[in-house]
Amino acid sequence: MLKRSWRKSEKGRKMQKTEYEKKEQDSLSNSFNNNVQNLRDIYKNCSDVVFRPFFIAGKGKAILVYIEGLANTEEIDDNVLSPLMQESTEYDDIKTLLKKRIAVSNVKELATFSDCVDQISIGNPVILIDGRATGFSLDLSKWEQRSVEEPSAEQVIRGPREGFIETLQVNSSMLRRKIRSPEFKMQAMEVGRYTKTKVIIAYMDGIVNKTLLEEVNNRLKRIDIDGVLESGIIEEFIEDNPYSPFPQLLTTERPDVAAANLLEGRVVIMVDGTPFVMIAPTTLYSFFQSNEDYYSRFLIASLIRWLRYFLVVMSLLLPSLYVAVLTFHQEMLPTTLIISVAASREQVPFPALVEALIMEITFEALREAGLRLPKQVGSAVSIVGALVIGESAVQAGIISAPMVIVVSFTGIASFTIPRYSAAIAIRMLRFPMIFLAGTLGLLGIMLGIITIIVHLCTLRSFGVPYLSPMAPMNASGMKDVLIRAPWWSLRTRPHFTGGYNRYRQPPDQKPGPKKGKEK
Amino acid sequence: MINLYFRKLTNILLCICLCFFMLLLTGCWDRTEINDLALVLGTGIDKTDDNKIQLSVQLSIPKAMGGTQQGTGGGGSGKPTIVKKATGSTIYDAMSRLQEKVSRKIFWGHNRVVIFGEALAKDGIRKDIDFFARHPEPRLRAYTFVSTGKAIDILEVIPELERSSAEIARELANFKIGMSVTVKDLLQMLNSGADSAALPWLEINPTEGLRVNGTAVFKKDKMKGSINDKLTRGLLWLRDDVHLATVTIEPKNTKGSISFNLLRSKTKLVPKIVDGKWQMIAKITTEDDAVENDTALNLMDPKIVKDLEKQLAQRINQRIRMTLNLVQKDMRIDVFGFGEAFHRKYPNEWEKVKGHWSEKFPEIEVKIDSKAHIRRPGMSTEPQGIPKNEVKK
Amino acid sequence: MIEKSRISSFQMAIMMYPTILATAILLVPSITGKFAERDMWLSPILASSIGFLNVFLAVQLNKLYPKMTLIEYSEKIIGLIPGKILGFAYLFFYLQTNGIVFREYGEFVVGNFLSKTPMIVVIGSMALVCAFSVRGGAEVIARSAQIFVPLVVILLLFIFILLVPDLEPKNMFPIMDKGIMPSFMGSVVPASWFSEYTLIAFLLPFLHDRGKGLKWGFISVFTVMITMVVTNMSALFLFGSITDSFTYPVMSAARYIDVADFLQHLESIVMAIWVAGTFVKISVFYYALVLGTAQWLNMSDYRTLVLPLGFLLVIFSLWTAPNLIEMVHYLTTTWVFNALTMQVAIPILLLILGKIRRKRGTKVGSTRND
Repeated sequence: MLKRSWRKSEKGRKMQKTEYEKKEQDSLSNSFNNNVQNLRDIYKNCSDVVFRPFFIAGKGKAILVYIEGLANTEEIDDNVLSPLMQESTEYDDIKTLLKKRIAVSNVKELATFSDCVDQISIGNPVILIDGRATGFSLDLSKWEQRSVEEPSAEQVIRGPREGFIETLQVNSSMLRRKIRSPEFKMQAMEVGRYTKTKVIIAYMDGIVNKTLLEEVNNRLKRIDIDGVLESGIIEEFIEDNPYSPFPQLLTTERPDVAAANLLEGRVVIMVDGTPFVMIAPTTLYSFFQSNEDYYSRFLIASLIRWLRYFLVVMSLLLPSLYVAVLTFHQEMLPTTLIISVAASREQVPFPALVEALIMEITFEALREAGLRLPKQVGSAVSIVGALVIGESAVQAGIISAPMVIVVSFTGIASFTIPRYSAAIAIRMLRFPMIFLAGTLGLLGIMLGIITIIVHLCTLRSFGVPYLSPMAPMNASGMKDVLIRAPWWSLRTRPHFTGGYNRYRQPPDQKPGPKKGKEK
Repeated sequence: MINLYFRKLTNILLCICLCFFMLLLTGCWDRTEINDLALVLGTGIDKTDDNKIQLSVQLSIPKAMGGTQQGTGGGGSGKPTIVKKATGSTIYDAMSRLQEKVSRKIFWGHNRVVIFGEALAKDGIRKDIDFFARHPEPRLRAYTFVSTGKAIDILEVIPELERSSAEIARELANFKIGMSVTVKDLLQMLNSGADSAALPWLEINPTEGLRVNGTAVFKKDKMKGSINDKLTRGLLWLRDDVHLATVTIEPKNTKGSISFNLLRSKTKLVPKIVDGKWQMIAKITTEDDAVENDTALNLMDPKIVKDLEKQLAQRINQRIRMTLNLVQKDMRIDVFGFGEAFHRKYPNEWEKVKGHWSEKFPEIEVKIDSKAHIRRPGMSTEPQGIPKNEVKK
Repeated sequence: MIEKSRISSFQMAIMMYPTILATAILLVPSITGKFAERDMWLSPILASSIGFLNVFLAVQLNKLYPKMTLIEYSEKIIGLIPGKILGFAYLFFYLQTNGIVFREYGEFVVGNFLSKTPMIVVIGSMALVCAFSVRGGAEVIARSAQIFVPLVVILLLFIFILLVPDLEPKNMFPIMDKGIMPSFMGSVVPASWFSEYTLIAFLLPFLHDRGKGLKWGFISVFTVMITMVVTNMSALFLFGSITDSFTYPVMSAARYIDVADFLQHLESIVMAIWVAGTFVKISVFYYALVLGTAQWLNMSDYRTLVLPLGFLLVIFSLWTAPNLIEMVHYLTTTWVFNALTMQVAIPILLLILGKIRRKRGTKVGSTRND
């Protein structure tokens, strides 16, 4: 029913073009004044746009248009204005003049106003010259940007310490530095009617699945919105199941993660203005894997992976298991344990279900408060929180001590999930699980788990089953899921749908004493 | 068209479904808070004078048992358990009477001990054991005992080391010094063709508290008599149930005695029918370590050890003979599992004697073939505390 | 075709494993034990022959009509009207059988764990979850089976290993002291469970590697047989002659586990994981029912049928029997004949008729594409 009412409003979906957009479509005319006037109209009331009329020595009027703060004014003065204003008769043609005189690496000829606007808006100064129906843009943009730092959300002990920043050019250059092969391709497109945000689709030619690439392109092209401020906005437009609590695109701030995924045949979508790039397709397991798994010794990495899987399950189930055992399956605990738990609950006025909910909500509130507050206040919150949910609640007899242990362990467990987006999904699902546990006990928990798993089985990320390689099962893929097999045995790339470039390396590279002597 | 109609119907059904599951949240049918439970730690069953059942349960008091709980006011004071009793015609009937007196729901999930009073045991226990196998709460692994006098007295004992007397009984059974029989084992014994059972005999010693002292022997489900601790050992040897044992022998030709700690033992019952004569060969092998030697014998001497092994085997033989004399010849009750053994090996012959097994059983000739192996002399070689020249070679 | 997704024959095998086993480890060991006593571990071996036969029949029929399910080719083989009637009989059979499965599940949960919870809540919540997976199609059921089946297998192994200290293999002897008859009698009820392998007739058309269907079908039957032997044995070794006096011997065995005083009373966990197996079982039956009904009605999409049939299933499960006693009686008597007729006799007839039809068809030289 919902679907049909949507369809009705489809007719109104094509939005009217704005006045500006109409103007921008015109091409530049021969009349210099007209061109300038048009540009001035387009940039009416834009105090940051600078129009600098000047004379090209011996050639006539010209105007330089740029945005304050985005263009490198020093370079403009030294390399553009001063050479042009100098007396010169060497060159008749303006084009040659520009070629010879202006020491700017990238000069583009522009034919329409929209081209001009595009160039101006990314910070490139545009020169319009009297008597010419084309303008020239000079690649002299420069703006303030954050320096490359280690991303705070994805820290590692061993591994590169650089992270993406808000500037797309820098981000793409970081990737290029990691993968130097020309087979590494980047396609650019623009999304957002007003923001005109540059989006880059990066992939490895020859490794990536062609249909996947096409699908990513199509989905990105379909987007028609006002503005893109963060990759999360694009994510919501291109994911497969918008109603799922689980993230269907992996986001990362680290170039090494992006590069590793590119080499596995995935597509990386980079958006200007955010350090977060998206990786498609994604499977559930990649959210529980840290890039450090691949840099540390494989035995340790495998163990840590198991620990992480266990903690994922704990962070989803522990409070509900506690509620279920305490209110339905009291025989499950050893007698001494049940007696001491019963003793600690003797004074507690709430049923276990309510107690669990209160504590979980308090914990989530503390987490949220600690996250949003300025750093200086944040530590105060954690002190208050530790006192509130710890000591005093237990001492006042409102909350039982085991419950505090359960909730804090759950909290710690959920923080071990390397990807925040997956951690928050699991944290959210904890609440319905607590309710199910409170109504049907372990049976309720199991029904909840079944529902979640069935949902995960139906999910796909760009056509790839979300639970692969577990279901559908793929033995070689399990090597990188159940354990982290050593690199020399990880011969195959993960299998997505369709044909693919299977092997990443030749076999028999296991190091051994004999290997060194060969040759 | 049909599809469209169905889709509408599906949506309506989905809405109804969701409403239905909203109701789920309101009903918590089986939910019981842990504070509304009275945990049964041990059960005693006695016979009353008017042939009814007196059920007594040992309930834990979490307030007192919880140890050091801050701020909840004086933990650890008072008794950790309480014993309540009620009478009824069945156990569950008695329990419902009991529930009238207890403010919390009686919960059987942690019941680990079932004690039958002597009078009830003599009267038959079959009808009372059914509850423990049928109701979903009680455990099949609960240990069963027969008590001297009334079972309730055992539950009321206030222990020194453990939290409750039921806990003592359970730990004692866990050690397997005497018989240790779970509800499941009891059911199996009663169900087997031999129609007999043996339960550990629990008694209160005024000075020492609880104690497992011997075994109660049942014919069908009625207790016929009891055997003492020593004879129980013989029973255990034959049933292959010896787990924790020390055997002390007084070697010939010298003063003092040597104690051995049993490491493992294996008993194999081999039934034989030779010319219509029923024979049972019990093959026993045990492995022991010496743990104490107050004789002058040198335990590093292979000859002496050989000799000691023989005496050890003889000692076991003696024990078993004593038990057999009483249980097989006098009581005529097959608690050793001979019947099962014959059934397994000679199903056809067993079929014939099944009906009058109690007459056939005492006629069986039992041969005991025991072998003892002394593995190590312990941490010392020669006897400690005597001069070298006094050590016997 | 009505179902667009494809599964592999390995996935089919893994789906069928809990489809037979989930309820076969509940009431069946007790029923088998009643007839076979000490030989109850032999019965599944005898019974599995029916499973092998069924897989063979389904694969042979599928070779005749590769892209059709049982409902569709029965129309082709015996004509439209008789085919529709037979199809209806099958649908009704699966409706009722699935109702029984639901009821077994409900009886088990309510009888052992949630005694005060209304049956309809227990069954209804499961029905909703299953409906959710059936809507996803064969692919989703297969994938969730791949997640749950390892869990169930680990669970069974876990029970067995933890019970080892209490097991007494001598309970097995004497083997066949009354001949083969008791174990044969005991195998009749498990055989009716094995006959549920006919369900693969609804899955075979959607395999993308149909050539391996027979192989994986046989492997599946074999593993089910082994599992049933092992579970029966562990119950027998533990309880000996009193095995058949428990309603759910395997469950009672799980309750007996006690390791180091800490791992005890595991039955709730056992129940919870077992529920996952039952979920797969019900989903497969449910899926066959929904798919069959859609094909019987010549509908283009089966998803719209999921919820209405789910309601019908819940109602059937409540109507099946007034109590557990009647249900066990039904399962040991009427159900056996019902199941073996519908799932063994009729497929044999269909196969013979189909072969004859195919021969005649080729003689006349009519070209027919399936």
